[in-house]
Amino acid sequence: MPEAKYLLVGSSHAALEALRAIRRLDPDGSMAMVTRDGALPYSPTVLPYVMSGRSRPDAVILRDRAFFDEVGCRFVSGVAATGLDTAARSVRLADGTQWRYGRLLVATGAAPAIPPIPGLDTVAFHVLRTLDDAVGLRARMGLARRAVVLGAGLVGLHAAETLAEAGLSVSVIEMRGQVLPGYIDAKASARIEAAFAGHGVKLLLGRTATRVAAQDVGIAVTTDDGRTVEGDLLLVATGVRPVTDWLAGSGVQVERGVLVDGFLRTSAADVWAAGDVAQGLDFASGTRQVLGIIPTAVEQGRIAGFDMAGDAGQKPWVGGLPVNTYRFFGRPAVSVGQAAAGGDGFEVVEQDLPHLYRRIVLAGDRLVGIASVDDPFDAGIMGELIRRRVDLAAVKDAFLADPTAIGRRLMSEQWR
Amino acid sequence: MSIAYDTIAFRSAKCDGCGECMKACAAVKQGTSRISIVPGARDGAFEMALCRQCGDPKCVMVCPAGALSKNAGNGIVDWAADRCVDCLLCTSGCAYGAISADPIGGRVIKCDQCGGDPACVGACPTDALEWGSAGSIYNRFGDKEDMFVPGLAGCQGCNSELIMRHVMRRIGRNSVLATPPGCIPGMGSVGYNGKTGTKVPVFHPLLTNTASMLAGVRRYYDKIGRKDIVVMALAGDGGTVDCGFHAVSGAAERGEKILYICVDNEGYMNTGMQRSGATPYGSWTSTTPVGDKLKGKTQDAKNMPMIMVAHRAAYVATASTAYMEELYDKLDRAIEASFHGFSYLHIYSPCPTGWRVPANKVIEACRLSVESNFVTLWEYTPEAGLRFTRSPDRPVPVVDYARTIGKYRHLDADQLAHIQAKVDEQVALLKRLAGEVSAVSAARAAAPEDSSTSAGAVPPPLRHETFRP
Amino acid sequence: MSQAAALSRDSRTLVIDGNEAAAWGAALSRPDVVAVYPITPQSSLVEYLAKFIAEGKMDAELMDVEGEHSVLSVLHGACLAGGRTYSATSAQGLAYMFEPYFRTPGLRLPMVVSLVTRDSVTPCCVWGGQQDAMTVKEVGWIQMYCETQQEICDSIPIAYKVAEHADVMLPVNVCHDGNYLSYGVARVDLPEQEVVDAFLGEKNVNWHACLDPERPMAVDPLTGGAGGAGPSMFVRYRKGQCAGMSAALDVIVAAHEDWGRRTGRYWSPLIEEYRMEDAEVALVTIGSMTGAAKDAVDEARLDGRRVGLVKIKTFRPFPAKAIAAALSKVKAIGVVDRAVNFGWNCGPVFQEVLAALYALPVRVPLVSFIGGLAGADITPEHFARSIADTIRLAAGEQVSSPVWLNEFDK
Repeated sequence: MPEAKYLLVGSSHAALEALRAIRRLDPDGSMAMVTRDGALPYSPTVLPYVMSGRSRPDAVILRDRAFFDEVGCRFVSGVAATGLDTAARSVRLADGTQWRYGRLLVATGAAPAIPPIPGLDTVAFHVLRTLDDAVGLRARMGLARRAVVLGAGLVGLHAAETLAEAGLSVSVIEMRGQVLPGYIDAKASARIEAAFAGHGVKLLLGRTATRVAAQDVGIAVTTDDGRTVEGDLLLVATGVRPVTDWLAGSGVQVERGVLVDGFLRTSAADVWAAGDVAQGLDFASGTRQVLGIIPTAVEQGRIAGFDMAGDAGQKPWVGGLPVNTYRFFGRPAVSVGQAAAGGDGFEVVEQDLPHLYRRIVLAGDRLVGIASVDDPFDAGIMGELIRRRVDLAAVKDAFLADPTAIGRRLMSEQWR
Repeated sequence: MSIAYDTIAFRSAKCDGCGECMKACAAVKQGTSRISIVPGARDGAFEMALCRQCGDPKCVMVCPAGALSKNAGNGIVDWAADRCVDCLLCTSGCAYGAISADPIGGRVIKCDQCGGDPACVGACPTDALEWGSAGSIYNRFGDKEDMFVPGLAGCQGCNSELIMRHVMRRIGRNSVLATPPGCIPGMGSVGYNGKTGTKVPVFHPLLTNTASMLAGVRRYYDKIGRKDIVVMALAGDGGTVDCGFHAVSGAAERGEKILYICVDNEGYMNTGMQRSGATPYGSWTSTTPVGDKLKGKTQDAKNMPMIMVAHRAAYVATASTAYMEELYDKLDRAIEASFHGFSYLHIYSPCPTGWRVPANKVIEACRLSVESNFVTLWEYTPEAGLRFTRSPDRPVPVVDYARTIGKYRHLDADQLAHIQAKVDEQVALLKRLAGEVSAVSAARAAAPEDSSTSAGAVPPPLRHETFRP
Repeated sequence: MSQAAALSRDSRTLVIDGNEAAAWGAALSRPDVVAVYPITPQSSLVEYLAKFIAEGKMDAELMDVEGEHSVLSVLHGACLAGGRTYSATSAQGLAYMFEPYFRTPGLRLPMVVSLVTRDSVTPCCVWGGQQDAMTVKEVGWIQMYCETQQEICDSIPIAYKVAEHADVMLPVNVCHDGNYLSYGVARVDLPEQEVVDAFLGEKNVNWHACLDPERPMAVDPLTGGAGGAGPSMFVRYRKGQCAGMSAALDVIVAAHEDWGRRTGRYWSPLIEEYRMEDAEVALVTIGSMTGAAKDAVDEARLDGRRVGLVKIKTFRPFPAKAIAAALSKVKAIGVVDRAVNFGWNCGPVFQEVLAALYALPVRVPLVSFIGGLAGADITPEHFARSIADTIRLAAGEQVSSPVWLNEFDK
């Protein structure tokens, strides 16, 4: 039975960062990384660029074989974990292998959430979560003329832009009333929606797909207002859900994702979880949420890794902060924190100019969120101002006028 | 051993916001400057955003495209343009705005240190930007043998221990070390009860005779042809400027070939913080206490390095642990000079215990002492004269330094004014020396060209304005 | 004794003062490092050394340092590095040198330093006397006192032989009286260099403690304290120092004998007994006064008085047994000092002799004579009075002690 002091299940940002953290404290402890994906580590976030052809599939690999040899970590790919026995401290793999572990990191990420739309199971459709998905979609894209995208989140919009730029006629169906719901406010969305419209993408917002049916050529999607949208390529991008099924019966507590504490420990001894699979502390609400972004995955992976390696000086995580950067047709949109918040207790300052849009959200002279379109800012600095709850009272007007200069100043002062 | 790297350091106190760095960067990069100077909190203060080439860069870890990587060779966080997908996620990984979206091109931009010769540093007229090569020192000397036992009993944050370890790591085993009574042997360098704390031959000379006994060691080794041994002292200020002064002065006058390093903690810190001739005006010490009638020391400190200049020692320099690369440079020159004549290196060493400085603020105190001109950094040789190794221009007020030091906490405005005046006077004197001596050197250097006489001709008289053969 | 018969025909015969004799003795011993600082009445000694080095007669590093403190300090360094070392001083110079002087025996550094003895300030005075040397007698240096210029010259190589002996390893002061010997001129036969070289053999002065990168060690770590290993280690160092001092007695005797065999000059190593065979009273002398004292003894003998004399050459270590044996048969003893023991208020040599005689089964009465202070002459007449006083003491009369010999000189 193979065994490792540190067993990392998953191979993307959270697992890679955990590996790095462990190796900083424990250069020699035996380690293995197992992943259901057949490829060397890559980021799901880069897949729209593989689909568009901007990135070659072999150029998005984050770590090569030599890296794993150098750091002393066995890399086992193409085999999914299928079960966990915390009493026996073992993980069962799809090929029947049992891995014994000393400390286990659950970093199995997320998989596309397929909505229960009648007929969807009878047609061929695409998702975009793996490198194979991206390569497959790119190959198929060249043969199609009309595309239907379900979901106007980051993946859906990215794909829609790529399909439109490739000359396809694209329709996007989103059940919420705006694109990128939850990330940015309606005014920011409106600018993005206008851009898509300007590039010929049909956005069906506030609409629910009620039926999918196969046609002689392609598919037809019926929406709740009775319209039918036809296409010869269907992409389902309606979000993801944590991959936790293999933990069933293990005793590891799972809600929407694997529940973790401030040190990314699960309810089971010697089992940690990090990244898109984890349901951990949300900075703003203080509740546990599945956050599903790279910066959070990296932070969680680091804390989990240090904790797994027995770092005595650890402090609990302050919680994750939404951070999203997005480009549409070359234009940047960035949001950090509660960028869409408003109402009681919030002070919202908007700059809604023809060439840019900026929205700053304060609560009691402290920054809680910021978003912009066509006005990129230092997202890392804004994140720190939020996380450190920096009192901006003395510089508020200046900050509202030029958040970049004031943010850089404040953090430069922090450097010393 | 892991590797350390060179970096660009920013001294906000010296920045006047002229923007030359940004212009230079923009010119070299033919686009947007990678360094950003922004107004600071106070009028006339400035802050900076620039990639610090983190050892543990988060921008690299959040990049989904593998476009960023830490270069193990030079420490630069490299950006691969062809891999980058312009997603801007890296900007969320930096807390200092050091990798940002270029408003012109739309791609991210960051500093690459111009391949080791950063244009911004060269363009900075105020030394607010410095090319910090402390990392190279670690690379050069980090693997060298530490010449002291791990468990020296110095106080927490002891700057003298830092000096001892660095100096001896650089000098190595072919040396004879004298550590006269004080903190340096007190913390166990010579050891206790038959056990040593040092790997090189080490001796506990008298407080009063360090330079002399070393001179004897050197003379004998020179006589028998073993001329490559570094014969040296790590001595405190008391044994140097007070009761051991005669020995230092005599050895310097005779040009004894020894390396004399004075670790100046401004008093007898080992025996309970009594004042010495090197204790500055106003200092609280246990023999210059603060009460109703007395408010600390009432005399200024003896300026030992300048006294050594007056001896025309082969090499004289002042150094501070806040500027390690400079300290190492001077150490190199001091070692070399000690094979030819008397070599004197004066290193300022704030004492966390005796000066009441928090252990984690000692290096900051060192830095402020220099930034305020309380300590000036310079070097001297009889041939080249005196030159500042760090500009004394644009100092911060001495009060900024004094308020970091507990032994000055009681100072009133008059006392602070006295110290400031003394600092200004010392700098003015040093500047005159630096100017005059180099003028003389220049006159000498010019003489052979203008002169038709042989090279052995009498040098032109001092202050001879135009020399005509 | 047959000194003249043993003289080598190749010997150089000089007529020189005691300081030059000392300089020749030092030169013949081939020290590696010589440190100097002038002081009356030693100054011409170091001038001779400088001259010898300048002329190439001596191959030594000359260190003209800024004071006696550094004189001994540079020699500490040179000796720990492995060099043979020499210097000379006197009175205030010795006082200024005291800090490193105090330390030298503990470091077991086998160096030789001539003391050109002088009375010490205050009252202000630059003339002969032995107050300087007597004041430092407890410090741990070996002290040998010379009677003649020739003995000065010969005693310096002998002193190196003693100092560097592995059983001793202690510094030696070769003392000669300021004025009388330092400036007094007499015939001196220089031993041949090869003879001195063979006598001294290979030097090894730092086998026990050295500052050498090839043998790294910590010299003189801190010892002592209230408990633990420290105090016992310190005690062992001190005991060892005493053992070296004790061993020196035999080594001194052997070294003098060896010197005699090689040069024909057999100097009395510890004490010299003069006409003591049937003596009823004895004088005890030290240093150059002995010549006049011997004349006075001869005069008294002509008058039929059975007087003898014991001269002390080696004062540290104190040759207590030899003294006691030499003085065991006399009825009274007069001890002549050129220094004062404050506290006992007598002569220091007197005090030492008194202590040595405690070992005898009978109590012999003693009287202390103090003379020759501040360059004063102790004439045969002074000694004749001393002999007379001692004879009165032997006869049971009261003699007030000490007797200040020069108190009423005109």
